[in-house]
Amino acid sequence: MVTCDHCLQEINKASAITVTIDDEPKQFCCHGCYGVYQLIHNNSLDSFYHQRSNWVPGPPRTIHLDTSAFNDTITSSGNEHQINLLLSGIRCASCVWLIEKFLMKLEGIRSARVNYATHRATITWVSEIVTLSTILDAIRSIGYQSHPCRQNSTADVLASEKQELLLRFGTAAFFSMQLMLFTAALYAGFFQGIEYRYKLSFQLISWALATPVVFYSGFPFLSSAFRSVRTGMLNMDILITLGSLSAYLYSIAMIARGGEVFFDTAAMIITFILLGRFLETGSKLTAGNAIAKLAELQPQEARVVSLTGETTMTSITNLHDGDRIEIIPGDRIPLDGTVLEGEAEVNESMLTGESNAVLKKKGSQVFAGTFSINGRLSITVTGDAGNTLLSRIISTVEEAQSRKAPIQGIADKTAGYFVPATIVLALCTFLYWKLSSGNNVTALMNAVSVLVIACPCALGLATPLAILVGTTAAGKKGILVKGGDIFETVSKTTTVILDKTGTITRGNPSITDLQDFGNSSSFLQHVASLEAGSEHPSGKAIVAAWNDKHLKVEQFKATAGKGVSGIIDGITWLAGSKTFMKQESIEIAPKHQQSASLLEHEGKTIVMVACGTTLAGIIALIDDLRDDALQLITALRNKGLSLHMLTGDNPGVAAYIATQCGITNVQAELGPLEKALVIHTLRAEGKCVMMVGDGINDAPALTEADVGVTLGHASGIALESASVAILKDDLNLITTLIEGSSKCFSIIRQNLVWAFSYNLIALPLAVSGLLHPIVSALLMAASSLCVVSNSLRLKKI
Amino acid sequence: MSSTFFLIGIGFFISIAAWLLFIWAVKSGQFEDPEAPKFRMLDDDDEQMQKNKTVKKE
Repeated sequence: MVTCDHCLQEINKASAITVTIDDEPKQFCCHGCYGVYQLIHNNSLDSFYHQRSNWVPGPPRTIHLDTSAFNDTITSSGNEHQINLLLSGIRCASCVWLIEKFLMKLEGIRSARVNYATHRATITWVSEIVTLSTILDAIRSIGYQSHPCRQNSTADVLASEKQELLLRFGTAAFFSMQLMLFTAALYAGFFQGIEYRYKLSFQLISWALATPVVFYSGFPFLSSAFRSVRTGMLNMDILITLGSLSAYLYSIAMIARGGEVFFDTAAMIITFILLGRFLETGSKLTAGNAIAKLAELQPQEARVVSLTGETTMTSITNLHDGDRIEIIPGDRIPLDGTVLEGEAEVNESMLTGESNAVLKKKGSQVFAGTFSINGRLSITVTGDAGNTLLSRIISTVEEAQSRKAPIQGIADKTAGYFVPATIVLALCTFLYWKLSSGNNVTALMNAVSVLVIACPCALGLATPLAILVGTTAAGKKGILVKGGDIFETVSKTTTVILDKTGTITRGNPSITDLQDFGNSSSFLQHVASLEAGSEHPSGKAIVAAWNDKHLKVEQFKATAGKGVSGIIDGITWLAGSKTFMKQESIEIAPKHQQSASLLEHEGKTIVMVACGTTLAGIIALIDDLRDDALQLITALRNKGLSLHMLTGDNPGVAAYIATQCGITNVQAELGPLEKALVIHTLRAEGKCVMMVGDGINDAPALTEADVGVTLGHASGIALESASVAILKDDLNLITTLIEGSSKCFSIIRQNLVWAFSYNLIALPLAVSGLLHPIVSALLMAASSLCVVSNSLRLKKI
Repeated sequence: MSSTFFLIGIGFFISIAAWLLFIWAVKSGQFEDPEAPKFRMLDDDDEQMQKNKTVKKE
């Protein structure tokens, strides 16, 4: 018996495929394994075979999943059960197709439906024929992970809210359209004359059509207005309710008196404002789904090591402080903890945003959701599933999102003054007419017409329309602005915070200095050949700098987090950090020591290279400034904005980059939550903060900031937690955004001034009882038209 | 002239029917997943294909 050189499975020598690769005979169990081996070998990635220390022969094992974590999400009726699962690993429509079809082939499954947009599966099964663990194993066997999907999550609440709003808005829009038909006839009738029976019946039909809009679609406004009156906190909803309800009641009274009706005003206010709320909930919902996807990063099960040393898989909900778990290469770490034994490079990019793997050894802290690249770790769990850094990040993002209340802010502030003023004015009108004419009905009619005139039609239209046009224009340039109030906030920004990696710098290092102490002309070729097997970004940068032939490296060995070694043409070559050189007892002359520390002082990463037992050279790498970074920084400074730079990187690099681009406020070595804290402090000082970043590690900061901006290649969660997403990788668009938003905001201000001046002219007329209803209707239309055409100017940002 | 009222009546019933259809569509989740149907449309269902074949043979 021999073993397959790729998958290590035992095979019969007779059936093995024997190939000679680089003068060595290799055996493979199948052509598939041979193909993969060739692919790896041809790309000089053979170190894969040296690094896989804990390889289990054959295809990946299927592990029996503990279903206890899912139990509380099952709904049962009789022997029929239903569960909602969140699936990770879905990439395209074929995945959805495969999961559905595969599950339907299982006996006992009643239905299986996967939602492509939310990655949620709804599965119904009969308990006597099939069990939940069989279903979960089946999903796992085709390569997808299931996670329990709790019903009371923010996303679910938002989804049902969105559906309710859709019903209310759909109804409102539908009846308003019907209503406009009859209103148009009534308007025509006013000018050309209309038979009384038609006028009356059209008015009655209008009444019937407006009723569901005001009382069903407008119910959220009515109840919110009622609540706010009780608590004494005046808001925009009162204005909406007051406007539509007074128009509605006035019209009913007018039917009785044979006057003109305003049911369309009552219905239209509600329809337009509902549309705005519906769109807003939709964008909140996508953000909620992104949070759910972040939670997917945390595995649901862990390998527990018992006191006797046996390992078993169990659900992470059963694990507590002090339990011991094991991580094998490629595993995501399920819980926060401290390393007990073992050494491994761990990819923490989802937390820190830095792509460099971090070396973890005895005593190091590891975090849930990160994953081990190349080593086995034994970990003591600290805290439980609900208390990991990942879950704290998720809750920070959720909290910050729920705290924001778009559009409402401006309108509520206005309503605070406008509502009492209008009510006082209406009361004065009533009293004046009652005292002067003594006619109760005339007095009431005039008072109500004041309320109708004061209704926030233009006020309600002025802001959302300008924002709609502005966001569409920005969207065409590749700037996605999510939510209404953002333009206003952007135009008020006083402080801009820039993340270093990926925003100011490119995010991938390149070689700046190459000091070759020996005299071998092929120094770089040797180092590049050596580093070809390295996964480290510095190593990759060195490989990228050499695009000629690679030399053959023997006995390649990578020491995690330190460096690489190998034999080229019979001479041992080493490349790595200073500590790696010391460890391999390579002597570093004082002058080399000095030049290295000089380079380090400039914020560069140092790779030392040794040939045999002597130091052969030093390579310095740096993460370059982006070409457009200086342009952006100058433009922002010219606008009088104060600039800050935050980074998770070390202070040396941060200081170097900061001096290069002229930013004085720099804070380095910050974690995701610390970045958010910095912004929180700035906001507490009364600054309006814009944060520009791109990693998941920036997500809390992006939500904490007044405006979060992400750039082109940003990670999914950053995209969702930011209020502005710039899709093109062009920093100058940030300047465009700031300019566009101040233009948008000035147009909103013009709209508001216009809307108020209409009120200013019309209100005195209404108070004096002079305003003919149809004239006021015309004035309303004219004022809306002005607001609309003014807003359309924003098309060119 | 009573034809106007007659037409309004017919229009009323048609529009109520459309409104009820909309309510049914929202409640039965027709708007929940706007992404998947366009792909689902393309996938050939084996059972249905077999049915179609047998129909053709008849």
